[in-house]
Amino acid sequence: MMTAFLPTLAEPQQFSGWERLLFAELAVLSLAGFWKQLGPILGNILQSKKDPGFRLFPIGRRVRDFVWEVLLQAKVIRERPLAGLAHAVVFWAFCAFALVTLNHCAAVFGLGFLDPAGLVGRFYFDFAAVFAVACAAGIFGLFVRRFVARPKWLGEVSWESGLIALLIFALMVTYLAAFFVAASGTAAQVLWWAHTLTLLAFLPVIPHTKHLHLMLSPITVFLSRGGFGEIPPLADDEDFGLVAGKDLTKLISLQAYSCVECGRCMEHCPANNTGKLLNPKEIVLGLRGYLNAYGPTSEEPLLGKYNAQEAAFECTTCGACEYQCPVGIEHVPIIVGLRRGAVNTGAWEDQRGARLFLTLERGANALGISSADRDKFVDKNSLPLFDGTQEYCLWLGCMGAYDPRGREIVLALVKVLRYLKVSFGVLRKERCTGDPVRRLGNDLVFQQLAEANFETLKQNRVTKIVSICPHCVRTIQEDWKAYGTPPEVEHHSELLSRHLHRLPVQNLEKKEKIVFHDPCYLGRYRGIYEEPRSVAAAARDLVEAPRSHERSFCCGAGGGLAFLGEEKGQRASQARAAELAATGASVVGTACPFCNTMFRDALVEKGDGAPELLDIAQLAARGLPE
Amino acid sequence: MKIVVAIKQVPGRDTPLRIAENSRWIDESEMQWAMNEPDAYALEEALLLKERDGGEVIVVSAGPERVASTIREALALGADRAIHIVCEDLRRRDALCVARLLAAAIKPEKPDLVLTGLQSEDLGLGQTGVIVAELLGLPHATMVLHVERIDSGLSVKRELEEGWFQSIELPTPALLTIQSGGNKLRYATLMGIKRARTKELRTASAPELGAEDAPTVGLDQISVPKKQKSTQILRGTAKEAAIALVERLKTEARVL
Repeated sequence: MMTAFLPTLAEPQQFSGWERLLFAELAVLSLAGFWKQLGPILGNILQSKKDPGFRLFPIGRRVRDFVWEVLLQAKVIRERPLAGLAHAVVFWAFCAFALVTLNHCAAVFGLGFLDPAGLVGRFYFDFAAVFAVACAAGIFGLFVRRFVARPKWLGEVSWESGLIALLIFALMVTYLAAFFVAASGTAAQVLWWAHTLTLLAFLPVIPHTKHLHLMLSPITVFLSRGGFGEIPPLADDEDFGLVAGKDLTKLISLQAYSCVECGRCMEHCPANNTGKLLNPKEIVLGLRGYLNAYGPTSEEPLLGKYNAQEAAFECTTCGACEYQCPVGIEHVPIIVGLRRGAVNTGAWEDQRGARLFLTLERGANALGISSADRDKFVDKNSLPLFDGTQEYCLWLGCMGAYDPRGREIVLALVKVLRYLKVSFGVLRKERCTGDPVRRLGNDLVFQQLAEANFETLKQNRVTKIVSICPHCVRTIQEDWKAYGTPPEVEHHSELLSRHLHRLPVQNLEKKEKIVFHDPCYLGRYRGIYEEPRSVAAAARDLVEAPRSHERSFCCGAGGGLAFLGEEKGQRASQARAAELAATGASVVGTACPFCNTMFRDALVEKGDGAPELLDIAQLAARGLPE
Repeated sequence: MKIVVAIKQVPGRDTPLRIAENSRWIDESEMQWAMNEPDAYALEEALLLKERDGGEVIVVSAGPERVASTIREALALGADRAIHIVCEDLRRRDALCVARLLAAAIKPEKPDLVLTGLQSEDLGLGQTGVIVAELLGLPHATMVLHVERIDSGLSVKRELEEGWFQSIELPTPALLTIQSGGNKLRYATLMGIKRARTKELRTASAPELGAEDAPTVGLDQISVPKKQKSTQILRGTAKEAAIALVERLKTEARVL
């Protein structure tokens, strides 16, 4: 038989009465310790408010996320391959050990179902042993990383992590050692007890530390709201966002307790990387601290001892944190929720913020310029008015209608559309989509803007929109859903890439290098990476920035922050512009008028040596007849 | 302190103005409306006084049905209750007529202080507040930037010309017309709007108030100002352009 060559696990054959009694007592003690920690946590999660708008179905997306992110550990590995793989083997070993551990505990009462001598048992124990070896190596690697390499994302060295690593290591070693002793001897007995005691010591430590993630995060990933950066609806007339503990929903509480403190969020956060107070990890841990101190029914404000208002309003909603989080925490809805709580109740007092709100309460655009100026622009350039006969409604957006550089982008796109003979028209009474106020948490003004725009679209029978602004596109497509059914909408990069083969730009000689900056609201939010690149690559020789695609680093304008001050630390736009310029490209390609305006200001510092800044519409228009 | 704030609904700044066919007024059909900005500052001052010293803030506004939205906005910002003087023909009434309506509504409230913006953004007459003071027999001060309560009544800071300010004291009850920019305006909140639904909004018509409404001033015609473009571009080096500019400021503009 082949199995004869396989190593055999030594399992004590006989347990005395007092051993059984001792095991039973210790197991009860361990479980009691475990429950004492876990009970209140589960209580906090279950007593939290219901999630408005939560739907379990369609469940396919949830199963897919669960398989990909939990079972395959794909997100963990992709972001940090080495540490991720080490973590994955530890996780897989835990899965393999589920049966082993059950059998281990059952054996003491003579109820073992895996026979180390039998074919199945032998095979399975050996299978688990392979994982045990990998797990021991993995946890050793993670220990070294945490205590010797110490990347700053992991925060201060915690003795708990050391203890956990030691316990896992001990579990593996005591299991593996049992392959090298005789089943009948004392050694097997000693190893069994050593393994058992480690296991029973491990159990109560889990809910006490961030290792709670090993129980909660699979659930969190499965139940996550799903839509990226999606802002949930308000529940009722008394819901103003996350004001106090009573506003925390079950999902938010679950997410708060699931955080494993790996720091991927802060590693990618533009605010945290440029010296701001905001640290997405601390936002989540702040909520956990709040829940532990006050509970989920408290009236105590959430922005106070555990989370700072300043931090909540430094977020650009770029979503890098949410995109990276391996345990399914949705940071953007949480941070926007905290802002809603502060803005909808008037607790947020900020001069620039208030000015933006008043501007949009009274006027139609976020820049506070008279709409007569927009009319002049439309008339001077003979932009056709949308009358229901054209294919596209060209949505100008505030930047496209009022900002000089935004207008250049619009006019370049218009030139391309005319060349392609794609029919389009613009609206007279277009208003801000409400993106900045939506992300800053002003539900009142957002609703006013969305409803006014819906009315205009209806009057003009708009069915298809194209826009140069990823923020407009996102807000129309997703956020407006709270107040109606938005028309089909696409970003100009999608339209341009579809028609690229018909444009002369692709036949021009390419001499210079271009680096393309992925706008957060086009990339992470909409999953559009290749379309704008295809246009950029047609015009110039495309190179990539160190951080690109899903890892793109925000320009600093999102989340309404373009309209607030960025007083603290380095400006995110300068950090990013420097990174883009360092690629040696002579052109920085953008696909968002906000990124464009941020880099325009940031590149001024570079003087004459600064790369040229062009939107993909301007690139696509190259070579067109005048 | 019981404070009444008189507010007016005016065309929104961003709304295109078109002259109506009869040339007697503007075409109101597609108009967007907003709270007159100086009135918004008057309301802000009232709310700050209430927050500091306690009391009640009552908003009063005259105009057709549409005015209710601006009144609700004022309630959402923090006013305690409101009186809507419903009159469809506001534009037919001159400053004196409107002041009579306001005064008739304000009088029974016996307020300690009446605030209003120094002028409206549409007609810009700057008279209504002062006439209300006269009708109610109250002392008044105009172009006020800041109000403080003192033992003898009020201490107010007025804006004069050329960057000068004047501090004066006056007894209560009194009426003040408020200049824009003295405070920072608060923004309307969702919570405010929801809370405003339960606040008292009383309506009263002109006949109910018993105010005399025969206008003494009639509006004949309105027209758009003629466009005059007199932009000059001064060419040459910076120095040459500067010399030419100073020359023109002296001889043509006569400001130097």
